[in-house]
Amino acid sequence: MTISHVLIENHALQESLYHYRIEPGFDLYILPRPGYRKKYAIFSTRFGSVDNSFRVEPEQDYTELPDGVAHFLEHKLFEDEQGNVFNRFAELGASANAFTSFTQTSYLFSATTNFEESLGELLRFVQEPYFTKETVAKEQGIIGQEIKMYEDHPHWRVFFNLLESLYRVHPVRNDIAGTVESIAQITPELLYRCYNTFYHPSNMAIFIVGDLEPQRVAEQVEADIKSRGHGQIGQIIRNYPDEPDNVMKEKVVQELVVSEPIFYLGFKDVVAGRLTGNELMRREILMELVLDIIFGTSERLYNDLYRDNLIDEGFGFEYSAENNYAYTMIGGETRDPDLLYEQVMKAIDDTRRNGITEEQFERHRRKILGGYIRRFNSLEFIANNFLAYRFRDSDMFELPRILQEVSREETLALAAENLNISRHALSIITPSTDG
Amino acid sequence: MSEDYSIYHLPNGIRLLFLNTDKFKTISMGLFIHCDLDRETAALNALLPSVLEQGCRLYPDNLTLQRKLENLFGAELSTDIIKNGERHIIAFGLEAAHGRFTGENGHLMKDSMTILGNVIKDPLLEDGAFRQSYVKQEKNQLIKDIKALLNDKSAYAVEKCLSAMCAGEKYGVYKLGRIEDYDLISAEDLYQHYQEVLKENPIDLYVIGDLNENEVFETASSIFSFSREKTACPLSPAEIGHQVKEVRVIEEQMTVNQAKMVLGFRTSIPFNDQLFCALLVYSGVLGGFPHSKLFMKVREEAGLAYYIHTRLERHKGLMLIAAGINAADQKNVQEIIKAQMTEMLSGAITDAELDNTKRGLVNQLLSRQDNPSQLIAFHLDGVAGGVDYSFDQLIRGIESTDIDRIRMVAEKITLDTAYLLKPREGEVVQDDN
Repeated sequence: MTISHVLIENHALQESLYHYRIEPGFDLYILPRPGYRKKYAIFSTRFGSVDNSFRVEPEQDYTELPDGVAHFLEHKLFEDEQGNVFNRFAELGASANAFTSFTQTSYLFSATTNFEESLGELLRFVQEPYFTKETVAKEQGIIGQEIKMYEDHPHWRVFFNLLESLYRVHPVRNDIAGTVESIAQITPELLYRCYNTFYHPSNMAIFIVGDLEPQRVAEQVEADIKSRGHGQIGQIIRNYPDEPDNVMKEKVVQELVVSEPIFYLGFKDVVAGRLTGNELMRREILMELVLDIIFGTSERLYNDLYRDNLIDEGFGFEYSAENNYAYTMIGGETRDPDLLYEQVMKAIDDTRRNGITEEQFERHRRKILGGYIRRFNSLEFIANNFLAYRFRDSDMFELPRILQEVSREETLALAAENLNISRHALSIITPSTDG
Repeated sequence: MSEDYSIYHLPNGIRLLFLNTDKFKTISMGLFIHCDLDRETAALNALLPSVLEQGCRLYPDNLTLQRKLENLFGAELSTDIIKNGERHIIAFGLEAAHGRFTGENGHLMKDSMTILGNVIKDPLLEDGAFRQSYVKQEKNQLIKDIKALLNDKSAYAVEKCLSAMCAGEKYGVYKLGRIEDYDLISAEDLYQHYQEVLKENPIDLYVIGDLNENEVFETASSIFSFSREKTACPLSPAEIGHQVKEVRVIEEQMTVNQAKMVLGFRTSIPFNDQLFCALLVYSGVLGGFPHSKLFMKVREEAGLAYYIHTRLERHKGLMLIAAGINAADQKNVQEIIKAQMTEMLSGAITDAELDNTKRGLVNQLLSRQDNPSQLIAFHLDGVAGGVDYSFDQLIRGIESTDIDRIRMVAEKITLDTAYLLKPREGEVVQDDN
């Protein structure tokens, strides 16, 4: 059996990627990496914490989920009738794991021996769900502990407090794991309903990277997927509420046991949610340039703030863009959140007014390109990010090309449009008096 | 793969370890100054890389230095202070995208090493000392870092357990020293201290990438050419033999939701011991993996923890068990742990537990070869531990470990300190178990 593929050559990165399409609608990507000891595979579904209202064509009614189902399902797939799936990877000498984000759930392993068997195990356990009343009840206890652990995590709290302030109704404002109350509503039936929808092959993809023969691996995956007799399912329609442009509230403060206040400033992006594919990626690249030019370690602001002991090396920024929401975050630990806020807002304003020099623009463009290439040392980085981009209908390998295309004018224009004071919120953790 | 390093000594005695490989998309360099961990010098050592990173004579401030690095396609300069057993290692690193991906002009290795060299050997001086304002600024930052340990409750609990456990030993010194140590340090003292370590202490320079060996040696020799003592000062091995008289119990209250339990054990097995590989297997079977006894019993069967694992301080012969639990479950959890350790002692270990652990350890070791900084860290571990294990040696040692040897390890393991960080009484909002 041979299945056809498309070979995608990337000259900038000197990589060759093999893309296979397997019926019904499943994408497989294989990237050979000669010389690596480790082989890494990630099996992902477009089902994350924000997908909590959906229907499958031709249904008319939406299924509404309590918060935390995608994450709960991830935990439960690791247990089947024979017990714990980790043990079978352990027998193969492989290391397995999983994670749930706002938009996807991923199962993965890395192995230096027994790759084919490990891949077989990954395909098997993700495609063979087993949920019972007893196992669901036990998991509610374990995830309850996980939720508690995050409640004590200041950087996690400041992050979600900010999202809760930026967003009025969009489910990105809810914790990925849900709450102790919301996960108490989860039943085996509900898990099967979600599983049968979101774990259909047409909603999933696999990325495999390492020192391997693509054709042989592809045949193994194809034979497995085809043997399971998946039928066709209707299109999945996800329902996201209409998020207003303005924020929920401009400032949120929480007290926790920390050594110093933590400051996160966020801006809601109201344009990116309408973009997909390379348009969305272009916006991401531009925002990375904008933020690095204003807040990066080679610019005046960072060095002044550092000198004045207002920030430390942990100060950073991030722009995150998905198909239906996007935001910018800037922050870190600080002795004086009010003063830092003032300085950051002033710097944004100054950049808008004074512009960006050609030298600045080229220098940051070089830095982003080099940083991107360096990250290609990591098999996990390549695989995880490729699928995340793929699920937004964009191609991660296009980054160097788009980076060369964008202009200084576009970058400046985006700084003005997207870091808009009318859509910003501030989240602060202050030290409690507890010693 | 550590066998594949080409090892040279530069004319001034600095050791150069070069690994020629085209596997990575980068060139990576690391320079390490090996020191003894000591209460007197801990804060001085910690300050050095932070101050040096602020600027050198040629690039006198961070802004200038960062711009230089950005033009080298975002090469990344990093510094660190590492505690490896009772060694204190001052670390500098530089990683750059290899020129064949950026269309760079062919001088990348030389340009990168020049920056690294300038930062290390040609610091910015004022009146025969480091620049006062940088020293003051970095003191503030490090004091802040010491205080910030509180922000990560798991790491905080581990550090509290270890420092109580080793209070009278060198290992009890925190890698950043104590807050009060910083008050006394002047820019002059710090520069004086730096001149001493640069001249007297052993220094290793690692270079990994697709590069010409001769060129690497020539470049390193010309850049790192400062004068040094003929023989580097000797460093002492970590002290392992501490006897436990009675178990130390520590409880600390804080406004938190989840309790953190850390149990500190003495293994009495040094890094270069015949039982070292058996210790790796012991810790793995007990709590190193998701298939391990503690994870299966405490989390999977009893549902009493989100995380529970063992961890080795391999250069000091210590083992920790760390868990995030409900404070009310502490007794239960401790009983399960005790029962599992009794099984280890009696050799009640299934073939699957043993074999899976060995495979898991081997997988971890081989995986480290896919990452330049892991390759460096692996070799550095050997230097600090006084025995340069190869990957193959460790793998053979792990694979040949049998239950008898694990029992020999189990017999040596003694609980020293039990630490619990727990929520303030009456403040637990709810208990879902």
